[in-house]
Amino acid sequence: MDPPSLMPRLPEMCRFPMLGMPPRELAPRVGRIGGDALVEESTVTEQCGRSKGRRRRRDPPSSGGATEDESSKLVSTSSGNELTEAEAKRLKAIKSTDGNDNIKSEAEASSGICNKLAAQNPQTTEPPKQDYIHVRARRGQATDSHSLAERARREKISEKMKILQDLVPGCNKVIGKASVLDEIINYIQALQCQVEFLSMKLEAVNSPMNTTIEVFPSKDFSSQRYDTTSSLGYSSQTREYEQGSGTEWLHMQVGGTFERVT
Amino acid sequence: MDSKGSACSNPNPNPTFGPSKLMLAFRFLRALSIVHRTTPASSPTCRGRRIERAAYASMAYSAGTSRAWSRAVLRRLHHRARRRAVAPRRLSTTAGNRAEALRRLVPGGAGMDYCTLLEETADYTKCLSMQVELMQGIVDSASSNGR
Repeated sequence: MDPPSLMPRLPEMCRFPMLGMPPRELAPRVGRIGGDALVEESTVTEQCGRSKGRRRRRDPPSSGGATEDESSKLVSTSSGNELTEAEAKRLKAIKSTDGNDNIKSEAEASSGICNKLAAQNPQTTEPPKQDYIHVRARRGQATDSHSLAERARREKISEKMKILQDLVPGCNKVIGKASVLDEIINYIQALQCQVEFLSMKLEAVNSPMNTTIEVFPSKDFSSQRYDTTSSLGYSSQTREYEQGSGTEWLHMQVGGTFERVT
Repeated sequence: MDSKGSACSNPNPNPTFGPSKLMLAFRFLRALSIVHRTTPASSPTCRGRRIERAAYASMAYSAGTSRAWSRAVLRRLHHRARRRAVAPRRLSTTAGNRAEALRRLVPGGAGMDYCTLLEETADYTKCLSMQVELMQGIVDSASSNGR
């Protein structure tokens, strides 16, 4: 490609501090990349939210940023119809290595032999980070960026839905996303109503004890004895009474109620 | 809602429940005692509402500010909005719009994307069920002790 076609991409690359790099070194490399490489770049990895920022942060001040950027472009250009495992691995390797390795691997990538690179690089791969979600297209699935992003999003949603299903009792038997959501909504509504009801009940239950609370000044340690006798042990559970019998009452109480949860 | 250090430094004799449940219990009980001390007994509905607000506040405080729903609850609490601390109860769960219903149920869920909403819903549900268990336990023990 000739230099004028390079121009629209240049501002994006000039954000990285790569001015020491001679432009004639750049020109053939960029020229090999297809026109829509920039769009394709996001297809290969779906990185939660902060792909750009992290890449910029990790870049060494030398020409690492530009090469890394380009190497991921190169990967994506070679992903024509199917995104094989070798490519995913190779991408991981590229992402996890630093600038010098990137230059090397990028030189190898530009030779165009994917499998050889995948065989050479596994010693540099690190365990995959948590915030990367590698989307792999199966045969016959679309590989453009929107489809991949949408697939990743759907996977994430179903994962969250599974967590929610475990939380809501009786939700495991329900089939279908809509009915699961209905169950969740009903459960939350019921819980909120129950909080309201229980607070009313707490008010009704504790109202005759109100006078006994006011008998105790908040800092009166000598009133600790009364905690065991009155049912108000919890009401004096401020920090002054932690060693008192009220604490045991609380532990007993709370432990009893929560053993069912855990 | 101060003095978190005291409850944290308290050695936990019962290893079956984590610190957050303990914190929730402490906060709620303290808030309950404050409500009982400060609110006149003549107005039961006002007091019940305050207890409810205390329940949500203690939930939100023990969940921490890392969650969007707890931030929303606390913001509503501090700004003393005319609305209650909870979303309106009677919702029409229309067939197509379950996400909207969920958004209205979970505090602070208005501007979230769907993924985050589900995550927040999970956390909120967990805390809410914990709180209900706690309150039920208090009511049970108080009623059994009172008689």
